[in-house]
Amino acid sequence: MAWLRRIRSLFRRDVHSRELDEELRFHMEMREQRNVDEGMQPAEARRRARVRFGNPTLWRERMSEIDLPLLPLTVWQDVRFGARMLRRHVGFTLTAVFALGLGIGVNTAAFTAYRAFFARKLDARDPSTLVNLAVILHTGATQPVFSYPDYVAYRDHLHSFSGVIATSLPQFLTVKAPGGVAVNENSGEDSVLGRLGLFPGMNNDNDEHALTMMVSENFFSVLGVGAIRGRTFRAGEAEQLAASPAVLISENYWQKKFGGEPDIVGKKVLLNGAPVTIIGVTPHNFVGTFVSAPDFWLPLSLEPLVHPQDNWLTDREKGCCHLRARLAPGVTLGEAEAEMTLVANHLRALHNRQSEWWQPLHAAVWPGSPFTIPLDQNAGLRICMLFVMAAVVLVLVVSCANVASLQLARASARQNELGMRLSLGASRWRLVRQLLTESAQLAVMAGAAAFFLSWALLQGAVVLVANAFPDEYGTFVFHVTPDLSAFAFVLGISLVAGVLFGFAPAFESSGSAVAASLKASSSASPGRRHRLRGFLIGTQVAVSAVLMVAGSLLIHTAIRSLSMETGYDDAHVVSLNLQFPEKAEYTDQRKSVLLQDLKPRLEALPGVVEVTDGHAPDDPDFREAAVSVNRQAPDRSNRKATLFYRWIQPNYFETLGIPLLAGRTFPGAGEDSAVVSQSAAKQLWPGEDPLGKTLRLGTDRQYHETAEPLPDGSVWRVTGIAQDTRGVTLDGSDSAQIYLPMPAEAAPQYPVLIHANVDGATLMREVEPALAAVDPNLSARLLTLEQMLRTTEPFIASSMAATIASITGLIGLLLVTVGIYGTVSYIVVQRTREVGIRMALGARRGDVLLLILRESARPVVAGLAVGLVLAVGAAWLLRHLLYGVPILDAVSFGGVSLLLLGVALLAAFLPSRRATLVDPMVALRYE
Amino acid sequence: MKKRADTLQGALDLLVLQTLEMGPMHGWGITLHIERVSDAILRVEEGSLYPALHRMEQEGWISASWGLSENNRRARYYALSAQGQKQLAAERENWKKITGAVGLVLNYGTGKA
Repeated sequence: MAWLRRIRSLFRRDVHSRELDEELRFHMEMREQRNVDEGMQPAEARRRARVRFGNPTLWRERMSEIDLPLLPLTVWQDVRFGARMLRRHVGFTLTAVFALGLGIGVNTAAFTAYRAFFARKLDARDPSTLVNLAVILHTGATQPVFSYPDYVAYRDHLHSFSGVIATSLPQFLTVKAPGGVAVNENSGEDSVLGRLGLFPGMNNDNDEHALTMMVSENFFSVLGVGAIRGRTFRAGEAEQLAASPAVLISENYWQKKFGGEPDIVGKKVLLNGAPVTIIGVTPHNFVGTFVSAPDFWLPLSLEPLVHPQDNWLTDREKGCCHLRARLAPGVTLGEAEAEMTLVANHLRALHNRQSEWWQPLHAAVWPGSPFTIPLDQNAGLRICMLFVMAAVVLVLVVSCANVASLQLARASARQNELGMRLSLGASRWRLVRQLLTESAQLAVMAGAAAFFLSWALLQGAVVLVANAFPDEYGTFVFHVTPDLSAFAFVLGISLVAGVLFGFAPAFESSGSAVAASLKASSSASPGRRHRLRGFLIGTQVAVSAVLMVAGSLLIHTAIRSLSMETGYDDAHVVSLNLQFPEKAEYTDQRKSVLLQDLKPRLEALPGVVEVTDGHAPDDPDFREAAVSVNRQAPDRSNRKATLFYRWIQPNYFETLGIPLLAGRTFPGAGEDSAVVSQSAAKQLWPGEDPLGKTLRLGTDRQYHETAEPLPDGSVWRVTGIAQDTRGVTLDGSDSAQIYLPMPAEAAPQYPVLIHANVDGATLMREVEPALAAVDPNLSARLLTLEQMLRTTEPFIASSMAATIASITGLIGLLLVTVGIYGTVSYIVVQRTREVGIRMALGARRGDVLLLILRESARPVVAGLAVGLVLAVGAAWLLRHLLYGVPILDAVSFGGVSLLLLGVALLAAFLPSRRATLVDPMVALRYE
Repeated sequence: MKKRADTLQGALDLLVLQTLEMGPMHGWGITLHIERVSDAILRVEEGSLYPALHRMEQEGWISASWGLSENNRRARYYALSAQGQKQLAAERENWKKITGAVGLVLNYGTGKA
């Protein structure tokens, strides 16, 4: 157990040295005693004893050396030596820490962000036993929205769960203190997205809106969260709540709006005009099953109070809520799924025969998440995540290659030092260990830098996200302080990276150091190292080229998508969303009358050219249907295609400025005629003239509102062909449109589209009095189609991708610059003697410069070639995000090549110049 | 794996191990024993004994523990381990070989004369 003692003595050094002293003192004192016994004087006895013994300090030191563990001591030496070397080469150290820290930091930030944004759990006690519920329809689609009657059945009949909760989507309700005057802050315009027009502020009404979550009464008891003041709702108290309507306020809103007023509980507020009593305050930043803290929590059973016209609570066909549940102890996901499938198929019989819920269903139960469908089903999100992950991993690759090439260059510059140490008796393993220690030190430093960098990045991201949404969307809550596992992730990466990039140079240099030995010769570096160094530089250039080409393609796309021909006049058309007060007296009929009253007033406004009802091409509300062309109702066998349809009025095309290529629009409503877009015609009747052809549509009632007109049943005759327009789907498939004449009574369901020759703000000012003249209770949201275009999926996806890709591309470029500069600097130092000889033999400065530049450029050009080939592959993978930009976009590929080449040459040129300043005499004397 | 100690070092090891074969003893006792038995001929710097003791302890030939000396003072006692026993046999053999060889060389010289 000697090694044990060694280790123990390392930790108990003072005890150890005291024991050594005692052992030696015992000996000397015994000798002294013996001398006295033999008749010496005490002083003489002591002196003789000392002489016989020798120098006790010396002996004690020898013994310590023997007893104390050897390995940790030399590791400590390595660490100290490494620190000294890193301090002596500050430039190298800073560069390496910067490069690695950047790579690791960006990766950590991405990882933590993933956990905070996508892999986040529900905000509840013991979130691991909470699950999300959905059904998989016969069509294969996941349907997470249940009707309230179905919810009640699941809540009361499922034994796999200890509680099932329902939540509606967050909604805005007007809020007023009774008798008080609401303050209209219109905060949407202060936010980034609000300014970009991504989130419209509430216009033309003086009401304040509060974000309200409607939840089942058992919501808080199932989640296991209590109120910080007052109480929460209780399971099964729907009747009491109906008798005395109650609401919970969030701590955030309580502080913001009521200044933390102590007697908030018991206060009354008006939500959508209905008086409710605040019975409790929910904890600060409590988000429950959402991602942001709302202003109010309202029981679902009070829904008729705030939306008198809805019949959510009783209509089994009306989607109302998302369901989540807490698993009963010992129940697995599979068991719960099986039981829920049974109940779901039992409920089928209660549904309408037209409904998709009447078809056989399968339940889906998966771990609780704020996202209402499993994330892996969202292809767009998956592509985005994959893209982000690939980009950040590539950044890490660049930074590791960068540091490796720096290390390698430095290792060859250090050959003399290593050779010296070898010939003085250091073992090869010892040298490797020392170089590795240095690498690990670098990696740890980079890890620390990265940790702070990612922390800063995440804080920045959170502020950005929070500011991006208007205040009205509640307080967004993200926990992005890098947690322990994220920290382990950083440290893991930095250590692995440290070992990886430290290894190659360590073996290389210790191997060649033997040969080079003490010859102080570095000109004869083996070609192998040249190749490895070239390879590393090439790798950096290649990966950066991929990142930059991708970034440039996506930026190009984002620019294009704004300026691209949309096929309609997006600059001059606005969409006016009318909002009728949610009161019983506003019947469909009254709405129609109001609309008919309003439209002539709008037409009469200065600058207004044309007014129509319907969805704009870039309206996110779109409808799909199966199409048959054989006069039979579409089914599996005769379905020709699945296309998009839109209800329009005859002047739709004039209003939007969509050219009609052939035929005419329908003269009016009530006629079974249709207009098809070019792409639709091409898909339905390839190579034929579509005019006069007939088609039938089948919707299966999927994703339709109950009051919405359906195109099923009629046989539509094609009377005209319209030019394609750009739509909202990522793949552009909704260019294939079928335009159908809108039934007159359906008009109030659709936005009013106004073609005007004045700008949106002016128009809004004019529209307000017109609205008030018709009915002072009307409110409206106004968006130009250009603004709406920016909220479409292709635009957001491509601009987000462009941002990420260009940031990573820039980081790549920065790293390449630093890497090439550093490497070439070392090459120059290494070849000083060679340059001296060349110049002594008559080479001119220009020749020398060219020589070094040519050599530095070789791996850059090779890397660029490889990178461009890889970039073609990356572009192909990104083809869905590239909207109207060819994969082989000359601007992107050419621009990136020139930029990279230019930057690389500049990075090589600056240190190369130093080589030409070499004085041949000095260089040669060095020999 | 084990390094072969040079002869002088080996001699000291041999003497210590041989002494400890009689039973556990502290450094002072070992010194005294060697001094007495060799009629005070073998006298080295006494301090050098201690690094040797600690080295042999690390090698695992002897083990050490604190005990009380004859005059009731705390002293570090060393005892021969099984491994040390083997080492002692080997060292003894080695010593015999060396002294035998030295003897042969010396005898060769006198035989010629």
